[in-house]
Amino acid sequence: MWKYSEKLMDHFMNPRNTGQLLNPDGHSEVGSPQCGDVMTLDIKVDDEDRIAEIRFMTFGCAGAIAAASALTEIAKGKTLKEALCISNDQIVGFLGGMPEEKYHCSVMGHEALSMAIDDFRHRRDNTSEHLDSILSEMPADLAAAVGNGSIRIEHVHPMRVCVRFSGGDEGTVKAVLEKKLRKLAGKIVKVIVNR
Amino acid sequence: MKVYLDNNATTRIAPEVFDAMLPFLTERFGNSSSFHSFGSDLMEDIEAAREKVAALLGAHAEEIVFTSGGTESDNTALLGAVTINPLKPGLVTLKIEHPAVLEAAECIKSKGHPVGISEVNSDGTLNMSSLESFISEQTGLVSIMMANNETGVIMPVEEAARKAHEAGALFHTDAVQAVSKIPLDVRLMDIDMLSISAHKFHGPKGVGALFIRKGIEIPPFMLGGHQEKGMRAGTYNTAGIVGLGVAAELAIKHLLEKNGGTGLLLERLESGILEKCPGAVIAGADADRLPNTATVLFRGVESEAAMTLLDIEGICVSSGSACSTGEESPSYVLTAMGIDTVDANTALRFSLSRYTTGREIDYVLEVLPPIIEKLRDISPYAK
Repeated sequence: MWKYSEKLMDHFMNPRNTGQLLNPDGHSEVGSPQCGDVMTLDIKVDDEDRIAEIRFMTFGCAGAIAAASALTEIAKGKTLKEALCISNDQIVGFLGGMPEEKYHCSVMGHEALSMAIDDFRHRRDNTSEHLDSILSEMPADLAAAVGNGSIRIEHVHPMRVCVRFSGGDEGTVKAVLEKKLRKLAGKIVKVIVNR
Repeated sequence: MKVYLDNNATTRIAPEVFDAMLPFLTERFGNSSSFHSFGSDLMEDIEAAREKVAALLGAHAEEIVFTSGGTESDNTALLGAVTINPLKPGLVTLKIEHPAVLEAAECIKSKGHPVGISEVNSDGTLNMSSLESFISEQTGLVSIMMANNETGVIMPVEEAARKAHEAGALFHTDAVQAVSKIPLDVRLMDIDMLSISAHKFHGPKGVGALFIRKGIEIPPFMLGGHQEKGMRAGTYNTAGIVGLGVAAELAIKHLLEKNGGTGLLLERLESGILEKCPGAVIAGADADRLPNTATVLFRGVESEAAMTLLDIEGICVSSGSACSTGEESPSYVLTAMGIDTVDANTALRFSLSRYTTGREIDYVLEVLPPIIEKLRDISPYAK
């Protein structure tokens, strides 16, 4: 048996934030080819770019499970930028140390998190591109709804976009944008129209 | 409750063995090679032990050489046998042998001699046509284990011995895991050399034996003394040899008692696991296996995590692999059977002994299923 700290054993026996999210904003699956461990990670990101929810699943040893659990605890509530700075040493420190031979177990969590964030950014870029193309093309029905008013992008999230609008018919603007985004993105993207 | 189900790793010393050894660790500390009777009298005890080991194997006493254990016995047999006839320097063995055999095979190969490694079938048995394909005129020795340490699968050694002899080769078997668990007889099975280790059947660690059929002369592995008629140098490990003798005697007695009911307990464990842990698979389930060994694959559950939780509950089992350095590979025994890497990493080995009780098996059947379920719940491989 490895000599594990009390805290590590607690995270192994009662892992935090396990499972999967129904509609994650970012998802990753990484494996360690050397020892056969596998981990999945799901995140939900709020409009301040903070990790609002995080869930993991792990096929791995006690060290791998505890390290994944620790990572989710550290990452929760952090902005994506902050989360990307979480180091292996931080995870090991959080767990009160780890046998040196097990350090490689904590690497997988870090990789899973950066890939989930990459996946989130990729999805956001997609939504952003679709929104950009709709607004630059300005199809007739949208132009009619905007009328003499103006419209600009405030915030983009993979699942929802926020636009600032001044002018006439905001209900129609919302409906037209949602319909076009759905067609382009192949999923429901919520549109929030601020005045 | 402490439940020791890792008896293929090592076993407890039988109380009778301990009692028999004690005088040789205290008052009777002499060197049996000495002139004075205080030492030389010990030769009688050593010869008595030799008789007992011979009786266990169906051999003659003069065919038994005492060694330091299974590894030395295997090394002596393999490295020696291929030097007997310069025209037959080749070795044929099996992919799932113990490293004591496989690394000796590597050593023989590195000297430029032909070495063939036979494949196994998906049930963990020796693939006979693969064995035949490697045996040639150059083959001096065929070495096939009697039973595998991880799966407990019993190999068709009599048939393998016949194939070896047809080609004019000698036949060696590593019976370290099989001895005391299934009946064996070197004459009936036509075996030329056979390795055993005391600590696998309730004897002490650091002592074993190599049976070498009368008439076969192989060079010694340990040099530096006249002991064992020059076949194995080194001061006699008197206490160990006496312990091995008593362990052999007890093994005969318990074999007559149909393995003391260990087989029934194994059946209870296996059927309980299959019933309470859906999706569990026993490796080599369809093959003949030792009545004390079961390796079970728990799909989606990494074995070291399961072993850690079992350890907390006092249950000692083992797995074919360990995630320690990050370079550890899964069990080569299981992957040789065609089991993929991920599933091989879910294997737990339960190995019983005649000291295992029904209460211990019931305890395992109570503790294990929730552990498997708990780990499955967080595993991406479980579905």
